Amino acid sequence: MTVGNRTRAALLLLCAAVLACASAAWAKSRHPLRIGLGEEPRTLNVWMASDANSNNILSQIYQPLYRHTPEETEMVPWLAAGPPEMEADGVTYQVRLRPARWSDGSAFTAADVAFTCRLIKEFKIPRHYSRWKFVDRIEAVDDRTVRFVLKEPMAIFLTRSLTIPIVSEKEWREVADAAKKQKKPLATLFNHTVERPLGTGPFVLEKWHKGAFLHMKKNDWFFGQGLRIGGRLLGPFVGEILFKIYGTSDVAMLALKKGAIDMYWQGIQPGYIENLEQHPEIRIFSSERSALYYLGFNLRRPPFDDPALRRAAAVLVDKSFIIERVLQGYGSRMDSILPAGNEFWYNPNLTEYGEGLNREQRIRAVHRILKEAGYRWTRPPVDDAGKVQPAAGLRLPDGSLMEPLTILTPPADYDPHRAISGLLIQQWLRQAGIPASARPMSFGALLQQVKARHDFDAFILGYGRLSLDPDYLRIFFHSEFDRERGWNMSGYHNPEFDQIAEASEKTMDLEARRLLIYKMQEIIARDVPYLPIYLPREIEAVRTDRFAGWVQMLEGIGNIWSFCQLSPVN
Amino acid sequence: MEIRRYILGRLFQITLIFFVILTVLFLLFRLAPGDPVSRMVDPNMTPEDAQRLIEQLGLDLPMWQQYLIYLKNFLKGRFGISFHYGQPVSEIILNRLPNTILLFTSSIVLAAFVGVFLGKIVSWKKGERIDTWVTIGALVCHTLFLPWLALIIIWVFAYWIGWFPLTGMISAEIWTDPSAGLLRKGLDIAHHMALPLTTLFLIHFGSYLLVMRSSMLDTLREDYILTARAKGLDEATIRNRHAAPNAALPVITSVGLSLAFSINGGALTETVFTWPGLGRELVFAVSNNDYPLAQASFLLIAAVVLTANLVVDLIYAYLDPRIRY
Repeated sequence: MTVGNRTRAALLLLCAAVLACASAAWAKSRHPLRIGLGEEPRTLNVWMASDANSNNILSQIYQPLYRHTPEETEMVPWLAAGPPEMEADGVTYQVRLRPARWSDGSAFTAADVAFTCRLIKEFKIPRHYSRWKFVDRIEAVDDRTVRFVLKEPMAIFLTRSLTIPIVSEKEWREVADAAKKQKKPLATLFNHTVERPLGTGPFVLEKWHKGAFLHMKKNDWFFGQGLRIGGRLLGPFVGEILFKIYGTSDVAMLALKKGAIDMYWQGIQPGYIENLEQHPEIRIFSSERSALYYLGFNLRRPPFDDPALRRAAAVLVDKSFIIERVLQGYGSRMDSILPAGNEFWYNPNLTEYGEGLNREQRIRAVHRILKEAGYRWTRPPVDDAGKVQPAAGLRLPDGSLMEPLTILTPPADYDPHRAISGLLIQQWLRQAGIPASARPMSFGALLQQVKARHDFDAFILGYGRLSLDPDYLRIFFHSEFDRERGWNMSGYHNPEFDQIAEASEKTMDLEARRLLIYKMQEIIARDVPYLPIYLPREIEAVRTDRFAGWVQMLEGIGNIWSFCQLSPVN
Repeated sequence: MEIRRYILGRLFQITLIFFVILTVLFLLFRLAPGDPVSRMVDPNMTPEDAQRLIEQLGLDLPMWQQYLIYLKNFLKGRFGISFHYGQPVSEIILNRLPNTILLFTSSIVLAAFVGVFLGKIVSWKKGERIDTWVTIGALVCHTLFLPWLALIIIWVFAYWIGWFPLTGMISAEIWTDPSAGLLRKGLDIAHHMALPLTTLFLIHFGSYLLVMRSSMLDTLREDYILTARAKGLDEATIRNRHAAPNAALPVITSVGLSLAFSINGGALTETVFTWPGLGRELVFAVSNNDYPLAQASFLLIAAVVLTANLVVDLIYAYLDPRIRY
């Protein structure tokens, strides 16, 4: 290399270094909030979005009429100006709206609300339509008043229907009209590409660089700015948000430690906590979740069509062991289908199968339950002298030998907790002579086997984000939903339960409905079509040196309240 | 004339094989368990909703009808709309493919050049210390577990020393800066590319080096090398002008196919480095039953691999006078 070349190379390196420093300094002066995402959002079309990351971004843009306070005790008016007013007929509701504007400055009116609700009904939009099909008419009375007329009283109207995201008629009218003329209107609506969503939320999308990042800026037209809602003064106090994508949690944790991101918007595994706690500028949040992880049985065929066997399995499953060893203590046992955190609807007086028993005591209890139900063994789990021993040759009450049965679980790379729980449960069932084998299979295949084909013995699945309204109890166990792709995956049929579930759907009085929901939980705990196992906690990590004001609520700190309250530390 | 007949024959074969691949791909995805709707674990998704979606996606039609539509669309150059993105598949592929080509093609070309060069050198010094160490180094690199190596490189150079960005292809901070010019953006991409490129280079160069070394050692026993020596040519000329071009033929096959497969990217590399390429999309499409995206990606790979095979054969004929079609 000649002297001239060397000089040129040195100059080039110097330029690169100056550029890097300049960009770093410039980035620092902007002070954007930087959030890590586990995956890129799939779409910004609010009707199509079904993945968590798309919904996380869209939740900053499209807003509902009502939302839950961080304390989860009540619904507060968000785009609505006050609580819905019910008329004397019990099926007509009137909602007044706040003065608000869309992010382009145009007025948000009752026509937008009516348009959104009619769009859902006309297109029968999946995941939304079930919450709107019982609404007969939607009318914009004036610019700031909407009237809803229901076909019949429906308890979920306030908590589930009025919490959908409202879209702008201006943004969607032409798209909807064009879609209606197509052979497949719903597919056309879904395939509409949204580049710059028009919303009423605290932030507006500035740029989506596919595969790299999303850039959001404060929405100057945000209706909540400076208002006190749910007892909180709303901002936003952050000018910009950068959403960066990290392919693996390992690298995301390095980014957090290095200060490349201020928060990782995805639950982290307990294994990372110890290391993160060594960094004083990192704070860990462990939050309650509204979730359910359970062992489901196929009641359509032997051997789990027998409630005695299901109860025996319930006694054998050591939930505390799973929580301590598999979840490393970051979870709690579940005895109801409803999480205990859902205090208003949760029934605390349910049977706690096997609670407080050690392994030998569990096996003895199961021996007793099954013996009373007519089961026999070639080699029983408890011998004549009362000593626990390895069991074999379990025979059903009709005398036939119990066939080997399978517990389907998602694979360990999808969810290690469920995969390991399956292996543990397999071992525990075998101790009582139940010839169970855990079989991990791809998630899609598992769902098809369980939901569509109904070809299984037992399975372990979970619901990550259950609504606070407990109507899902009806959806999971009403006999109406025992069909292909229905949510009654166990094939549970109980006319008593169906009757109570139907009543719960239409009971508007909260206390009366609570009693019905309590009863439904009791019946399910007694018949055990599902055995609730654990409720993992949502563990999130943030840096505390740049931003403060995270609001912790059910499901963690990644919520609209946080984004409306966060502010720079200095 | 002969070469033209050969090319036409090969093109006919390629078309036939491509048609078979087209059909097999269609069947494979339809026969695999699950469907695009079944993964939506949301109690709000009623059976009626699911059925409506299935109908809208055209998956309720008999399989032969779906196949005919698939063929018709393919012949018209339409690859459909991704079930999960709601975007035309061609747009998604065009968005991701350049990123994959940039990273993987450059890493393969670099690895091939260094591998061939070093292979040529060490074969000439067989048994010497340099040969032993370089060969061991190449073997170690070749057998390293890629995600592990990638994480170690990230930890050392991006986290610990802090010379490079952790992952990704661009810095959000720079690309959202209105004053950032092309040079700064270009340097930013190069800065992000350094670590994944190094990882892929380390993984790949060993195999090229070993193939080149072994091929060179075979070539050195050939009579024409002895003749060259007898003519009194110097060692460098014998190595570079006589031995290396002949020994490089197996490497050319390997590089040609690697380049063709490089459009597929590498799901592991792209995931660890969060490189927005086609490899990650391909894995996502397969695991989520996104048939249009998965089919189009595989078809693209098949087309490129088949074409690359033909091109490699033609290059062979050009490089090796003994080969005639």
